[in-house]
Parts: sequence; C-alpha cells; structure tokens
Amino acid sequence: MKTLIIGEIINNNLSSGTLEILSKAKSLELDVQVITVGSDENPSIGLDLCKQTYLKRQSNSLNLSKAATKISEIIKNEEINLILGSSTYMCRDLISFLSVDLNSSPVSNVIDFDVTSENVSTVNSINGGESLYKTKINSDKTLLLIRPKAFDPAEVNFNDDFETIDLDGSDIEVFDIFIEEKSGPQLEDSKVVISAGRGMVDKDNLGLIETLASKLNAAIGGTRAIVDAGWMPYSQQVGQTGKTVKPDVYIACGISGATQHQVGMKDSKFVIAINKDEEAPIFQLADLGIVGDTLSVIPKLNDNI
Amino acid sequence: MKIAVCAKQIPDPAIQVTYSNGTIERPEEQVLDDTDRYGIEVALQLKERFDAEVTIISMGPSGTQKGLQQALQMGADKAVFVDDESLKGANSLMTANVLSELAKFLLADIVIFGTESTDGYSGTVPQQVSRYLDIECISYVKAIEVNENVTLTRQTVEGSEKVNMPDKCVISVTAGGVEPRYPNFKDIMAAKSKPIEQVSISDLNIKSTQNLEFIDIETIENSKTGEKIIDEGEAYQVIVNKLKELKVI
Repeated sequence: MKTLIIGEIINNNLSSGTLEILSKAKSLELDVQVITVGSDENPSIGLDLCKQTYLKRQSNSLNLSKAATKISEIIKNEEINLILGSSTYMCRDLISFLSVDLNSSPVSNVIDFDVTSENVSTVNSINGGESLYKTKINSDKTLLLIRPKAFDPAEVNFNDDFETIDLDGSDIEVFDIFIEEKSGPQLEDSKVVISAGRGMVDKDNLGLIETLASKLNAAIGGTRAIVDAGWMPYSQQVGQTGKTVKPDVYIACGISGATQHQVGMKDSKFVIAINKDEEAPIFQLADLGIVGDTLSVIPKLNDNI
Repeated sequence: MKIAVCAKQIPDPAIQVTYSNGTIERPEEQVLDDTDRYGIEVALQLKERFDAEVTIISMGPSGTQKGLQQALQMGADKAVFVDDESLKGANSLMTANVLSELAKFLLADIVIFGTESTDGYSGTVPQQVSRYLDIECISYVKAIEVNENVTLTRQTVEGSEKVNMPDKCVISVTAGGVEPRYPNFKDIMAAKSKPIEQVSISDLNIKSTQNLEFIDIETIENSKTGEKIIDEGEAYQVIVNKLKELKVI
C-alpha cells in the first residue's frame, strides 16, 4: 500500500515519533515515503531507508494549512492510500486538515495497526489506556494519528539527500517565539523518571525532587495539575495531553494517578509510588507502593542515596 | 463580532465511560465538558472587549440540556444544537462537519473550542472545522491578551509563540490556558431564560460519512499486584534496596 509518513524535526533530525512509525511501516513492507514539515534551515533528515521530501515553512508565519494543501496535492497525484503521523501538535493539525480534503475521518490515539490488501485496521487506546478499541477503516484514504512510543524507532542513517519545497507564508505573522531551555536528562530517553503531583503541596518542595533526580540521573516530570498550576513548564508534563514515557524505573511522588496521567506512564517497567492516600489509583499500577507522606520519604531517600 | 463556542455534553467524568457497540453510552443527564469552559472563558473575554454575541454550538443527545445550561450560566447569550439519531457514534469528521455548518448558520466570525473532549479525546475537531470553513486555525492557545489587538499565545512543542487574532479564525484553547469564571446565583437564574434552539440536520450540508467500522473493545487488566507498604518512618529503606536491586544505584 502506498504510504506517507508526515515527519517532524527535533534537534535537526527526524523526531523519535517519526522513526517509530517508519519502523512499523517497514515491518509491514509498505511502499513508504516521508514528507517532513519544519522551518529549520539545514536539517539532516535524508534517509537511507526511503524517499524524503522537506516542506520548508517560514517560522514567522502560521502556515500549516498551506503545508496541508501541498501534502493533499501530493497524496492525490501519487495515489497514496495510507497517511501516518505522530500525535504531536503539528501532526494533529496537519492530519485534521488533510482529513477534510480527503473526506476521510482520521483515527486518533492509535497504538497499533495492520494493513491487508483489503483494508487497514487499528487498535486505539481509550479510557486512559484501560481499554483497547479496535476499528476497521472503510475508505480509500486512511489517516492515522499514532501515539508516541507505540513502536521501537527505526535505525536510520541520516543524510542530506532530499528534495526541499519552500512553502508560502500566510497573512498571520508569528512573533515572540520562545524556546524553553532544556537541561539535564530528558523525559523521552531517561532510564529513570521522577514525577511530582499535587501531593508535593508547594512548588518550593520540588527542590526535593531535583535533589533526588540528580542523585539518580533521572528526568523530572509532573502531572497536568501541577503544570496547570505553573510549577513546571508544559514540556515536563507526563500524560494524555503531555509526554508518554517508558523508563526502566518511574517514581511517582504525591500523584493520585488520574487516567490523564496513567496514559503517559503505565508502560514503565517498574513503578514506585509514594502517596498518602491508600486508595489512590496510582497504587494499582505500582510494583512498589509506599503509603506515606512523600514530603517525609524523599528527604530520607536523599540522605541515604 | 459573532462568536460561536463549542460545548460538548458528556457523561459525568467521575463515572467510568461505558460503551455499547462501540459508542459511548450517554445518560439523559450529561454535564458540560470542563475542557470547554476554557474556550467559553476566552469567548467571554472577547465579548467584553468587542460587545460580541456569544452562541454555544453543540452536537449530540441533548437530554436534560444540563450541560448547555451550564455553558449559558457562564455568560454565553444563547445556544444552538443538533441532536439526530443518524449522528450516533459520529466520527470526528462528521462532528466537525456538523459544527462547521452550525458556525456558518450563525455567520460566526470566530469559532472557539477546547483542545480535545474529555470522553472521546480525538483532538482533531477544531482543526477540521477550520478547514471546512476555509479559515486559519490558531490551535493550542494557552494565553490571551485583550488590548488594542487580541494576542494569542500558542503552545508549541519547543515552547510557545504569539499571533494576533485575525478577523476570522478558529481557536482551540488548552486546559489551564485561562481561568474559567464561576457563575453566581444571578447568572444561574439568568441562564434559564436564554434561548436554546434545535437545528435540524436536514438544514445542514453534510458531506462526510461514517468510514470507521467498530470491531471490538478489549479491557486490559492494568492492575499490578505490587508490594504495598505503610510508611512508619523506615519505608525509604525499601525503596533504596529496590533501587539497588534494579541497579539504579
């Protein structure tokens, strides 16, 4: 089946989400190409595995809708039937635009899919990952939004061999572009993640988490509640509307375990949960649960590690 | 300025969603999706600045209309909704098709949404509506400054960026982006006399079809039978030992 992956650039290369989808497409032996949308000047996104096209947009103009129009044109010209993208801000916008152009409803939150000569079927995560919803797509064009970490990333060698298409800007100017500073271990690829929730009581107490994280070389995450409260930047949010993590060890500190949060961490290999409330749902996911005050347990950990 | 803001009635989120033949079971009494309160708040801030008319648009079983009432209590002027048996289990594209038609019916300049609903969370409807209406979508808005211009701050994967709101657009607002107002007793009473109008699907131009076929739902047994310890001051030692065993330290 002729397949298109919508690629995204992170740190001058393709994002891990893009590479995860590519590995799945390759394992299904699909006739795949990648069209990457970004505004980087000289990304290294050419692939030894398949054809790559770069749609270069201007960072100072909101023109994703123009990118979608260009992609629609390519899909129609090249008779592409399957269009795949990672559940990120950009791909959600693009796949949504394309779904109207192609008159085919997309499937969101896909964690697995299969392709036969007749149709595409998907497995989607619902109820915060507590149930799997299986769908068959009955249209000529299939659009899927795939959750990060659903597949292992493809191993590729990047090169500079790709065609670049420059997109026009739109009338909507983008200004005050702010890039959050990233330091220390990152959530996506750390072996240990420590996350904080409301049970940390006050933003000032996050210092305890930082100390523990530096001792364990861990990345720091947080729940939507504390990100909304302004304790942490959005880039550190773990959950349905934030990042999905799969570390070897996940330490949940003062987190009740709302489904919103569970979706982002439930596939961690070993979960340690510390919470005052014995009935907190997080304990159902925990390999080791400590019923106690996280503000008294963490300082002792810090003193003894 | 005419503003349409989407409000979805959903089953009480405190109760686990149940499915019947692949479709969410909806009780007579549904509540306003909290996600939509952020969009309504943005609409009301624009109303105060531009003396705009704010209309709630909604699709789905109307039932007791409690969710629509809650949206009106916040300060919207009126509500229009589509409730049709043929839309049961509608996919995101059909939903967007219906809502965009409602926005056209109202001659709305600005159409506002939450980012994704709490019960279905496909997270694609605002963008799809913008495409149907052929206007830009300012997605993932996390802050609004209403001055001479209206400046919207968008969440991006790397941080944030700002745009000035154009005369016509769709906006999706992230949860936590603004502080939704709480209605007082007077607002609650006033909402009772605000108009709620049902629009027939036969008056709308629906081009999309149901292309997704439900196969099955499988429940995963998530719960682990992990060790659970009540901390009496020494539980940290168990964690330290476990971290050693896992070779983290």
